[in-house]
Amino acid sequence: MTDSNGAHEPHGATGHEAPTSTNNPNATTNGTSNMPGATGSLDPTLQAASTAATRNKPPVWAIILAVLAVLAVIIGSIAAIRTLTSSNDTPAGHKESNVTIGVKLAPTNLDIRNTAGSALDQVLIDNVYEGLLDRGADNGVQPGIAQSWDVSDDGKTYTFELADGMTFSNGDTLDSQDVVWSLNEAIKQGYHGSEFLSAVDTVTASDSSTVIITLKEPDADLLWNLTGRAGLIYDEEAEGSYDPKTQALGSGPFTVEQFTADDSITLKRNDEYWGKNKAKTEQITIKYFTDNNAAVNALKSGDVALLAPIMPNVMQTFADDPEHYDVQPGDDTDKYTLAMNNGDGHATNDKRVRQAIRYAIDHDELIAARGGVDLPLYGPIPELDPGYEDLSALYPHDVAKAKQLLAEAGYNEQHPLKLTLTYPNIYGSEIGDMLRSQLAQAGIDLDVQEVEFSTWLEQVYTNKQYDLSLVDHNESHDIGSWANPDYYFNYNNKQVQQLINDARTAPTEQESEAKLKQAARIISEDAAADWLFNYRVTTAMAKGVEGFPVNMNQSFMPLVDFTYTKQ
Amino acid sequence: MIRFLARRIITLLVALVAISIVIFLLLRVLPGDLALVMAGVNAPASRVEALRTQLGLDEPLGMQYLHWLGSLLHGDLGASQLTGRPVASLVATRAAITFPLIGLGLLVALVVGIPLGCAAVLARSRRVRAVFQTIAVIGGAVPALWAGLVLIVLFAKGSGLLPLFPSQGFPLNAWHNPGAAFMSLILPALTVGLIVGASIMRYTRSALAEQMQSDVIAMAMACGYTRTQAVLHVGLRLALPQLVSVIGLTFAEMITGVMVIENLFALPGIGTGLINDVGHRDLLAVQGELFMLAAFFLVIGLLVDVTHRVLDPRLKG
Amino acid sequence: MQLSRSSQPGSGRSRAVWRVVLATMWAHGTGRFALVVMALWTAIALVSLFWTPVPLGLTDGFNVWAAPSLTHIMGTDGTGADMFSWLIAGMGTDLFIVIVTVALTAALGLLVESLMVSRSVALSQGSIVTVDALISIPTMLIALMLAAPLGATVIGVILACGIGYGLNLARVARPAALLAARSAYVESARANGASAVRVFFTHIVPNCMPVMIVQLSLSAGTALLAEAGLTYLGIGVPSGTPSLGRSIATSVSLITVHPTTVIWPGLTATILVVALNLLGDNLRDAIDPLRNPALRQLGHAVQSSDAAPEREA
Repeated sequence: MTDSNGAHEPHGATGHEAPTSTNNPNATTNGTSNMPGATGSLDPTLQAASTAATRNKPPVWAIILAVLAVLAVIIGSIAAIRTLTSSNDTPAGHKESNVTIGVKLAPTNLDIRNTAGSALDQVLIDNVYEGLLDRGADNGVQPGIAQSWDVSDDGKTYTFELADGMTFSNGDTLDSQDVVWSLNEAIKQGYHGSEFLSAVDTVTASDSSTVIITLKEPDADLLWNLTGRAGLIYDEEAEGSYDPKTQALGSGPFTVEQFTADDSITLKRNDEYWGKNKAKTEQITIKYFTDNNAAVNALKSGDVALLAPIMPNVMQTFADDPEHYDVQPGDDTDKYTLAMNNGDGHATNDKRVRQAIRYAIDHDELIAARGGVDLPLYGPIPELDPGYEDLSALYPHDVAKAKQLLAEAGYNEQHPLKLTLTYPNIYGSEIGDMLRSQLAQAGIDLDVQEVEFSTWLEQVYTNKQYDLSLVDHNESHDIGSWANPDYYFNYNNKQVQQLINDARTAPTEQESEAKLKQAARIISEDAAADWLFNYRVTTAMAKGVEGFPVNMNQSFMPLVDFTYTKQ
Repeated sequence: MIRFLARRIITLLVALVAISIVIFLLLRVLPGDLALVMAGVNAPASRVEALRTQLGLDEPLGMQYLHWLGSLLHGDLGASQLTGRPVASLVATRAAITFPLIGLGLLVALVVGIPLGCAAVLARSRRVRAVFQTIAVIGGAVPALWAGLVLIVLFAKGSGLLPLFPSQGFPLNAWHNPGAAFMSLILPALTVGLIVGASIMRYTRSALAEQMQSDVIAMAMACGYTRTQAVLHVGLRLALPQLVSVIGLTFAEMITGVMVIENLFALPGIGTGLINDVGHRDLLAVQGELFMLAAFFLVIGLLVDVTHRVLDPRLKG
Repeated sequence: MQLSRSSQPGSGRSRAVWRVVLATMWAHGTGRFALVVMALWTAIALVSLFWTPVPLGLTDGFNVWAAPSLTHIMGTDGTGADMFSWLIAGMGTDLFIVIVTVALTAALGLLVESLMVSRSVALSQGSIVTVDALISIPTMLIALMLAAPLGATVIGVILACGIGYGLNLARVARPAALLAARSAYVESARANGASAVRVFFTHIVPNCMPVMIVQLSLSAGTALLAEAGLTYLGIGVPSGTPSLGRSIATSVSLITVHPTTVIWPGLTATILVVALNLLGDNLRDAIDPLRNPALRQLGHAVQSSDAAPEREA
């Protein structure tokens, strides 16, 4: 075994040891047919009879082993025949009623109120749970449980008109009572995502289909935030009757049929769904593959209909087969952020050092190594979010400039800059290795430390003990973290804070966006961090897949229109 | 015999308590905790604190240990704080993959190893014996990871030269579809079996070789057995106790020993589950699982020793 | 067999002994193979410290997962680094790991052994029970426990392997050590006032030598295999350091891309482990005067203790 304790030799309680190699002095002596047979008699006929008998009888253990071997072969072939002949009864051309799809990141439990992780949003939002508002394919706000809404002129009162005849999957009515309860519980209990409701003053119902939210101050992000966890509506009457860790009770087009942590979840069509848009596929199983090869083999053998995401190094086999597969990159808001500790006492506190790092990084190389699918990103706001601007002119790849800045900051060959990059090991070692190589060209000695995610959470995120760190900040509309001086970036720029706050309370969308653009530009100019790239998730689908969201499908994956027709 | 048993059982219990303390303390050294993991990134510190209190993580360590020890004494191994699932159930599901894998692997190993070991001793020409020796040495030197890789490249459906077996992953409904489940275990079991087989072959060979050097074989041959029969009937039978203890210990060791293979073939077994739970910092679950494993090892060790004593009356004390 | 040190007049003798030992090993086919491989391994490891076909730190994102070519004999990995160079450098890291692990195993094994054969019943019984309990902890778990707070480190691998194998060594060598410890020879030495330490090193250890040599060589091989597995799981050698495990782990990603490259790292590891095992076997045979006529001819005085059995391993 690879990790045997070294218990190589038999040594039970007696400590009896047997050598590995023995020269066998006695092996050359062997029993010949001259020896008296089993009878011990010297009579040749008797000997012949007995030796014949003993010679022809095979030893017991050999019989047992032979039987076992035969059994194994029989079982194996039966199993093989069964799997080979088992086929789907659905004739070609008909939509499958039972489809499996492959995804990478698994949720640890279903408790979307208390447990973080985009895997939960991905599988539950819009499929099992619904929010007050829905998120469109363009990352914009759409009607959800609320059919229409009105905002007062001062931006502090929101009136939502709910749809009619809504029910939860268990038959309970969904009305303003549940909405009010859900939002108030979120604020009171501090659910995950409730910080987006920080501006909320009161949530009340004026009648069974109208909900009024009043704010302490205007919040331009409120509507969008209500498309996420903050706006999810739970069944007040059913509270306590189900275990939110392993079960889900929502109003969406699917229910959770089965959930195995770290393995798979099965969604079943909710036939009592109140909305017009009923689920097109009866049962969808989401299987979580941590191993890339297993995922690839599952898609190749038809065990899954698609893979989202598919890793760049294995993408090629499917891209080369356009007859059977469709490989599409999607737009996402994932920002691979190289955080640089702006706080005091760190070498990266010096702006010139941070700038040098940004100049030294060759973003094109990083993107090429990942298959050329990702987009370059030079600021904290990705294309899909409001306030995006192309800031690539700010820090192009320029090793000479990096060296110059480092020299200005007091580093040279005798006294090189030594930094440590600490990042969670889920991102693979390639990025760390390439960054080390790139920074080495500018004279920076980078020590790469991959740690467990939980270790990263404590060491980097909570205790802020790091020089450089890398994390995929995949949330949309999260510019607010740059306005938080206590965030692990340790970035404290009053002007940026003011701008972001103004953007939040701005009366019109245009004004809000202008302020956001300004803030993003300052953050980038400050080299508060580097944004390695905007990760685009590639989905590989078998031909016949329809209605699968290719954009943003890691945090938002509505499956209501998804169908698969076997070719 | 009774005294021996009693002594061993008391030692076992003491060891279990000691191990429980070691497990508990070791896990608390890990940075990060479940509250942090659940709260994730972008959670305010207040939520992390609230979660900590909710999960009971802010109690003094001694109290936490006593709680756990108390439930252990009641036979309650604890439950995952993430999913609420009892540890026994968690381990059972994962064992439903690991144990058949080990069992199948051991079967392959025995089928391959014992005959080869016997043949290595019985072969008359030195050349042939040297060949067997080489096979044994090489078999024990192959990294399991690589052996698995080669098998995948050769035989896996979807990427192999000869697509016979599914390569990675375990079917969704596990053993409800025994055919598919069995097929997914074939390549990993072969990998395990070939490597452990080399070990078994070595043991068999050296045990039999020792017999050859002793008077037992000569006695048997004097009673009329041929050399082959003497070795196989008499020698192998005498070597059985040793072999049994080896198999027992190997089985216990393989539970974590197959972690690499489980990982390579994407089988959600005990080892993989343990690593996942440690990653989530679901310490109550990890504690329970580790304790179960330790207890299992110790009990197997005890059983092996007892079997040894029973099977081999020459052993005393 | 005891090669009692008190009978050796000086270092000239031991050099002659070693020359005979090496010659004996060389005479054997397997011994020659082992020696040649070890020599090559050491040479490659030393060279790799200063030079590799392509510099290790060089990455090339525009040329990832490339097929084998003239500049990259084994292709490139996910960062565009040369797999062949990393394999060679990995051999160096593993040589280091193996040597230090063997040293740690020997040291820990002997330490525990000394406790196990001590005259004090409490110490010996206590250590036996402790070792029995601790041995059940698999190397994998120790490595996991070490790696989780500190991250993957080479030291962690060495510690995890060294501890497990050291305890095992102590256990396996116990019969030989006990035999020596209870022998009349040792009794008389103690009666003459020799200290426990001196008795241990001059009488007990040499009696365990054959067992130890074999166990250490097996441990060396197992350490290498363990490193491969641990690095693959992420709790072994850290990512920036080359190692055989890293090369094998990288080749996992190549299954669907360049299947042929999968062969080489694992094959290299197999050959090295085979060499280590054969080295131990042949060394043990060569050092044993009973099996090595050449050593007997050297006129080396062999003093066996009264109770030493004839066929001790």
